[in-house]
Amino acid sequence: MPYAAREDILGKLKKADRREEAPARPPLPPLTEVGWGTEQLIEKFTENLALQTGVVHRVADRAGALEKLTEIAQAEGWKAVMIATDEVLAPLDLAAWGRTNGIDVLKAADFTARDAFKDAVFDQVDAGITGVDWAVAETGTVALVHDERQPRLVSLAPILHVVVVPVDRILPVYEQALERILAARGGMPAHLNLITGPSMTADIQATPFKGMHGPRRVIALLIG
Amino acid sequence: MKIRTEQFVEIAREEMKNTRSKAFLGLLPPVINAMRQISLATFPDPDAAQAYGAAIRGEVVTRLPELLEEFERNATARGTKVVWARTAAEANAFVLDLAKKKGVAYVTKGKSMLSEEIGLNDALIDNGVDAIETDLGEFIIQLLKRPPFHLIGPAVNIAVEEIRDLFMEKGILAEPTEDPVALGYAARLYLRDKFHRLEMGVTGVNMAVAETGTIVNVENEGNIRFAKSSPRTQVSIMSLEKVVPTMADALHMIRLLCRNGTGQKMASYISFDTGPRAAGEIDGPEEVYCVIVDNGRADLYDDPVARDVFRCIRCGACANICPVYTKIGGYPYGWAYTGPMGQLLTPLLLGFSGTSDLFRACTLCGVCKSVCPAGVDHPRMLLYYRARDAAGDPRLRSRGRPLKERTLYDLFAWGATHPRLWRQGAKRMRPRVNRGARDGYLSRSVEPLDGWFRSRDLPEMAEKTFHERWKEREGHKAKA
Repeated sequence: MPYAAREDILGKLKKADRREEAPARPPLPPLTEVGWGTEQLIEKFTENLALQTGVVHRVADRAGALEKLTEIAQAEGWKAVMIATDEVLAPLDLAAWGRTNGIDVLKAADFTARDAFKDAVFDQVDAGITGVDWAVAETGTVALVHDERQPRLVSLAPILHVVVVPVDRILPVYEQALERILAARGGMPAHLNLITGPSMTADIQATPFKGMHGPRRVIALLIG
Repeated sequence: MKIRTEQFVEIAREEMKNTRSKAFLGLLPPVINAMRQISLATFPDPDAAQAYGAAIRGEVVTRLPELLEEFERNATARGTKVVWARTAAEANAFVLDLAKKKGVAYVTKGKSMLSEEIGLNDALIDNGVDAIETDLGEFIIQLLKRPPFHLIGPAVNIAVEEIRDLFMEKGILAEPTEDPVALGYAARLYLRDKFHRLEMGVTGVNMAVAETGTIVNVENEGNIRFAKSSPRTQVSIMSLEKVVPTMADALHMIRLLCRNGTGQKMASYISFDTGPRAAGEIDGPEEVYCVIVDNGRADLYDDPVARDVFRCIRCGACANICPVYTKIGGYPYGWAYTGPMGQLLTPLLLGFSGTSDLFRACTLCGVCKSVCPAGVDHPRMLLYYRARDAAGDPRLRSRGRPLKERTLYDLFAWGATHPRLWRQGAKRMRPRVNRGARDGYLSRSVEPLDGWFRSRDLPEMAEKTFHERWKEREGHKAKA
């Protein structure tokens, strides 16, 4: 593409008459969610995610989470799962859990090449399990920062996404999640997703259905 | 896509007889409107939230070149390759060339109105690179070769039987079914393989954040996320007005876009890209290209009224509530952009000649303006278009009005500005005009006013003009 295109476009824009200034911004509209306390955050997160057909289980601790996971695995008949290796999941030691329960627990580090990883995450696993960076009560949303520990396809390609959320990571609004992500990483990460419930569409006859391209179901395990 | 805007009236007439379109228009827009109201009510002060959105977009329009430069600087610093394209042809050539260089057989497309505007799919397909729409609605209308019926639900009016037959014919469906969920699931399986083997994904852009150089996409299906996760090359194309100043502004606009577009508080997926994948990521693109497309917009930027169209964020709230759109549906608009936003954008992009029905097919009721989260003043702009069209403004590619109409109005203007002649003329015309009156009304079609009389009557001309009555009254007073 010729560099001239850039100069042409910006040149025209800058030459334009812009004496008519935009009026000053009104004050930022308030958000009620900011005042929510811990129990209310948990309640609202659960309520909002449930509205999107997300299923929320609250457990007391890590042992409880593993127990619940076993229950889900049995009910779903899992043979293999793909997991993230973020700091929420790491202490759960899902590899050991998988050995105990006879479930193949795969992770990105098991694959050297993108294509082999893609084959597994698209076709060979029954679920993707991730932790969260933050969760947002405003809409029952989870924020995932993607990097080495959090591959993009784990929460997208499998038909079921299980997300583990320590309750102290639930924040009132998106802004607060973003603030913490920016502070921790010194800027925007390469890829960030705000995920609210399963993949959905209503493009045929306005009939809503879940699991258009991504997960059909999202199960959240709240710890704490 | 073949542009059919010139046939606006004919297609509108057909569509108003189409029972399927009518049924959907009676059902879907009111439901979305109600959901919009409910979701907006979750703001403590919905009006203030909408007004703040309008202020953000107003600022974007005023600071457009500086914001684009800031976006480019920050995106480039993080490794995004920013490319500028003056025309549709330049943009298409870039994407095609890149696809050829990468040696890909196909690309998946995320829903992008801009790509429909510039005809990207045809440009790729005609040159041996398949372009597969992956948003379910777009996937269906691409296979049917139809324009979008609705901004958010482009295929929402298509009968399940037609989709069944289409999917059977294309080998997407194994066993015939009319269940919308089963049909959608068949499309999932078909497209899943395309995502799995994907080497280059093409998506649109909902927002480009100047402050951080971040590309933001809002979606429900996950097809855009796949295009940003599975392939080695990601191409995001944006029209130049998509930029917003800060991440805080982007979050506010996301809240407004979801509520106004689909009546959701939040879409399923909001993805933010700041450069290609991080070190150590096993998936995600090795290269991210952001193509900033002008396609005639920079030429319009000097026009302080026309450039307000750059406020639009493509939520479609204006269409769902428009008394014209909700009668005729999306087809008559004849191109990528439907409803009131199409009535504003299409004439500017394609030129006024051939699109003038769009800015005349409006009663100026202003309900579009009242719901717009970006502060677009549709009635003001439509009136401005009509005035510029009557003046035959060459910058807006207007041919002006037909000679007969122009002469008539020139004559009228001349008469109306010469009071003595006007009074004389009125006196002489009265018996002649009133000859055609029935029950005190004129309803006869007279060339060249037949169009005007098609849906209106005029009361017959009064016995005496106002001036005559006034003079008489003053005369009586003087005598008394």
